Amino acid sequence: MSLDAQTPVGDPLPEGPPKDAPIEFSEAQLLAEPEFDEPLIAGGVRCHGGFIDGEYVSPRTLVRMPAIDAWQSRLRLEGPGVVDISREFMPPHYPSLEQAKLLLRAGVQKPITRSLTMISIVEGFGAMIRDVPVPDLRAAIKEDLAGTALSHLTAGLFEAHARDEAGHRDQGGHKQMWEAARDLAFDNPRVPGDVLARLMQGRGRNRRPPLFPTLPEKVEGLIATMANVMVIEIFADDVFSWGEALLGDPEVSAAAEAASRMVSYIRADERPHVEYLRTALSEVRCRTLLTIDGGEIPGREVVDAILAQQLRGIASSRPREQREALHEEIRADIAEMRLSSELMRKFTALDDGWTFPRSEDDPIEIALS
Amino acid sequence: MILRVAERVVRSALIGYAAGSVWLRYKGPSWLDRIARRDPKARDLSAIHQKNADQIYRTATRLRGLLIKMCQVIGTRSDVFPPAYVKTLSQAHDRLPPREFEEIRCVVEEDLGKPLDAVFSEFETRPVAAASLAQVHRARLLDGREVAVKVQYPDIEHIVKTDLSSVRRICRIYERFDPQPMELLPLLDEMNQHLALELDFCREVESGDRIRKLFEDNPAVVIPEFYKEWCTGRVITMEFVSGIKVTDIEALDEAGIDHRRVVQGLMGIYTRKIMAFGFFQADPHPGNIFIQPGPRFVLVDFGLAKELPEGFGLGLFELMFSMMTFNDQSMIRAFDELGFETKTGDKSTYVEIARRMIDRSESRRFEGEFTEGMTDELFEAIRENPIVQVPIDFVLVARAFALLSGIAHTLGHRANVLESMAPGATQLRS
Ligand SMILES: Nc1ncnc2c1ncn2[C@@H]1O[C@H](COP(=O)(O)OP(=O)(O)OP(=O)(O)O)[C@@H](O)[C@H]1O
Ligand SMILES: [Fe+2]
Ligand SMILES: [Fe+2]
Repeated sequence: MSLDAQTPVGDPLPEGPPKDAPIEFSEAQLLAEPEFDEPLIAGGVRCHGGFIDGEYVSPRTLVRMPAIDAWQSRLRLEGPGVVDISREFMPPHYPSLEQAKLLLRAGVQKPITRSLTMISIVEGFGAMIRDVPVPDLRAAIKEDLAGTALSHLTAGLFEAHARDEAGHRDQGGHKQMWEAARDLAFDNPRVPGDVLARLMQGRGRNRRPPLFPTLPEKVEGLIATMANVMVIEIFADDVFSWGEALLGDPEVSAAAEAASRMVSYIRADERPHVEYLRTALSEVRCRTLLTIDGGEIPGREVVDAILAQQLRGIASSRPREQREALHEEIRADIAEMRLSSELMRKFTALDDGWTFPRSEDDPIEIALS
Repeated sequence: MILRVAERVVRSALIGYAAGSVWLRYKGPSWLDRIARRDPKARDLSAIHQKNADQIYRTATRLRGLLIKMCQVIGTRSDVFPPAYVKTLSQAHDRLPPREFEEIRCVVEEDLGKPLDAVFSEFETRPVAAASLAQVHRARLLDGREVAVKVQYPDIEHIVKTDLSSVRRICRIYERFDPQPMELLPLLDEMNQHLALELDFCREVESGDRIRKLFEDNPAVVIPEFYKEWCTGRVITMEFVSGIKVTDIEALDEAGIDHRRVVQGLMGIYTRKIMAFGFFQADPHPGNIFIQPGPRFVLVDFGLAKELPEGFGLGLFELMFSMMTFNDQSMIRAFDELGFETKTGDKSTYVEIARRMIDRSESRRFEGEFTEGMTDELFEAIRENPIVQVPIDFVLVARAFALLSGIAHTLGHRANVLESMAPGATQLRS
């Protein structure tokens, strides 16, 4: 494959003024596939990605990954750094690894199957990122956007992300990969009928008013979406650890090796997602946003406020609600199997009682790395 | 009694006359074609379809009862009937002349076992709406609560039975004479089942209660309270609910209600009913949905509440989702899970059908909305391609979504099913 990128593909950008080295790619390049020795096939389903010299390589990373590295290193040279989310805000997966094992050992599979199915669906919805309304960023941001992740969002980055999450044409994506991991580990379990009911619980709440009413609606919308997806993607790391450990435990998993490996592939694929979103948000952060009334707002102010809002939203109230709902469901699942309340007691005792580490009015600082 | 017999004869005759004309309109031209040695298949039948549909509609609105219902059923079976029928006959709704009040009073008094004024302090003699099987009156209970009383037409069970047997007889004759008959009898059986359900108002009350319970956590959904003491198999006494008809744009604007939020809310409610609860009103026509400021959503009429088999919602979700995300492989699996069947076993037909549907959408990609055009295309593809068999539940659900899509378009928006399911920030295209 011939590449007409103006930067070498590979390691972070070498020395030199970045402005001389605009980093531009075509959509086809950002979607380009490495040449795999063999494809990834899971549970009879052809998935994305594949193997080179026996190692798993993520899909569409031939150019995309080096490109992200290049944008990011340019940013590090120019600006204050790349935004990150402190892991202390990350709510642990519920039911926890120990809780899940306890349930599975007692033969209660439903909560775990449900949980894995919901993870697969939520992953799949990640594909909706290709439909985010993206405003004309060149008109919305004062500074130049040449050679940034920002200028490539609709030129391949969102599309690659969408394909990774939900698959494309004859290839499965993360949605199908999680399903495969579930089906391998638990030998094609029955999917509980209430999965969608759970997914749609508590909907119909009103949307938040905009934080920056003077910004064009789509601009704040785009930043908020990227912030939200980034936080979810970073927090997903805990889900991957949980999944790898649980599905990899031969005591509870019928195909420990294969199932756990599958989760590790998904985990590997998420890295470009986290990194391009961190990069794009940081690029906004070191620029200036133009308001509809002719004014300016420092990007930093906007990005940090939106990130803090997202963090509070995702990390504080939701886990508690979800945990309560889940607790009730698991209680019902256990009751359905006519198991002793002893199991429920043990289950509850294993609850680590995690809470969000900041109170309502504590400020949330955005980390850089 | 004699009157009844006479009425029966007249009804049968009228039904027979309409059926005969319809049949002749089809067969006449093809006989001519044969005499003139033209290929009868080459003839464009759409004008004849339309004429026939109009005549059936006229006869039905005159005779009501079963015929109206039959129209409504035909209106739901776009997989069997040509579009002209579906469009014309699905309009058979509550725009019918009311019955004499005395007839209504009789039913109420008989069923409640009391004179009207022993239960109601007021009872408006002019109905709020008159539909195929019942009409609705506004009234007031003795304690002052304002109620809507839905009353079944007195002789409706009888009429339905008579009509059903005349239609059945005609179908048998038709099947004997037509060398390639459409399979109408199974359709009649299906209708018979639906009618039995719809005529049992106790069941309607139960269904309404069930839906209210399902939406306990959503204060924006309003289901009128039933006053069970005054509910029977033929009478429903319920809280009178007011609101703006969902398609009344002027009134919505006047009340300052945002159309977008109406569409989003409505989609959220129906998606949840169909996909999550597997229990839904199969007939979400605009007459059954009212909007209050908020917006709050008032739902009435649970006669056609339908239970979906377990796993159906997930299958449907998978189908739409795979269509949206261009995943052919998952799409085929979803068609299978929903109970579609191909007689040849060649599953690529599914993908072709899906592609045809998608091509009918404006953007030429599936964006989570089943528009009327797309469902039309689906059913046309299936009629043309008899190797594929569609599960009836799918037909009902697709039609419900198409109705919602119609409402959404009237309000200038789109009925995106998937968006209303998306978690958190992925609710993007609002
Ligand atoms: N509780 C109520 N409060 C106010 N109006 C009502 C109420 N219930 C029904 N109506 C009105 O009466 C009309 C007919 O009621 P309903 O839809 O239940 O009858 P139906 O015979 O099932 O009609 P169809 O099957 O044609 O929809 C409704 O469209 C609505 O306008
Ligand atoms: Fe993913
Ligand atoms: Fe991701």
